[in-house]
Amino acid sequence: MIMIYLQLFLSFFKIGLLGFGGGMAIISLVQNEVEVHGWMTSAQFLDILAISQVTPGPVGINVATYVGYTASGTVWGSLLASLAIILPSLIIMGLLCYLYESIRQRWSENKIFRFTMRMIRILVVVLIANAAYRLMTPATFMDYSSWVIFAVAALCTLLPEVKKNRMTETLSHPILLILVSAIVGLVIYR
Amino acid sequence: MRNNIVQLFLTYLKIGTFTIGGGYVMLALIQREVVDKHHWLEEQEFLNMIALAQAAPGLIAVNSAIFIAWRISRNEAHRHQRLYSAACVAAAVLGAVLPSIVIILLIAVFFTSYKSLPVIEAMFKGVRPTVVALIAATAIRLARKI
Repeated sequence: MIMIYLQLFLSFFKIGLLGFGGGMAIISLVQNEVEVHGWMTSAQFLDILAISQVTPGPVGINVATYVGYTASGTVWGSLLASLAIILPSLIIMGLLCYLYESIRQRWSENKIFRFTMRMIRILVVVLIANAAYRLMTPATFMDYSSWVIFAVAALCTLLPEVKKNRMTETLSHPILLILVSAIVGLVIYR
Repeated sequence: MRNNIVQLFLTYLKIGTFTIGGGYVMLALIQREVVDKHHWLEEQEFLNMIALAQAAPGLIAVNSAIFIAWRISRNEAHRHQRLYSAACVAAAVLGAVLPSIVIILLIAVFFTSYKSLPVIEAMFKGVRPTVVALIAATAIRLARKI
């Protein structure tokens, strides 16, 4: 029993340490660990993946919690797996934060540094736009209604850019838009 | 002082609850809460933060929570600065992952044979296009302030 906890901790620590590119990129690493240790069948893993993608929260934490529970059969296993996947982030981001501040203090007036940072920021915006583009799949846009939902949501989100007041601020709130579109989906697709 | 810790926890609890389908949706929520509402960061630093969170290994959601919490904790001088920073980071990360853990555990413990529910599937058919719109709009809004 102790062995399973140790395996869970080491596996998810490794995933947190070597997983670049966020939650979805980490999935293949998790799958690999699951197969190596024989924690569950691949059909079970696919089920878990599907549920993790439709429940709230970061996908990586969802998968870690679920695999931890299924492998050990206890709540402790799931907590341990989640903690293990966060731990490397805490260490590495902690170091990066200190590095970031000391570099910023020393170089913030430097022209080349400012130019580089500006280029990185442009790259990040392109990355975000690309993430939206990649999500524009037939599975997401299955009929005309999806396009209408998309257009209305986009319009609402960009309203404050045109005219900033209390009403546009409220209409553009991401949580409100997600809740409303869930209700709309329930009405249209059930 | 302690207000900031509680505030961070609650803000990230909200962000964690409404992040659906991965870290990029979270960016729209973080921008709303951290940049627009609490003015903890400006747009430029928000973009620096995303660059750092992506470059480091691990979950983008967790990485960004760590950076933002740490950054906010440095905004004010504190007698036990390191302890205070650690408390802020712990509060944000806990808030970000708690909804996840609770919901998944509930599903794992009570629905041992989970088959996709038509109700949830219908809701997600409505939410997915909105998520794409939110991410695209985040890119457009940030592009204006690079």
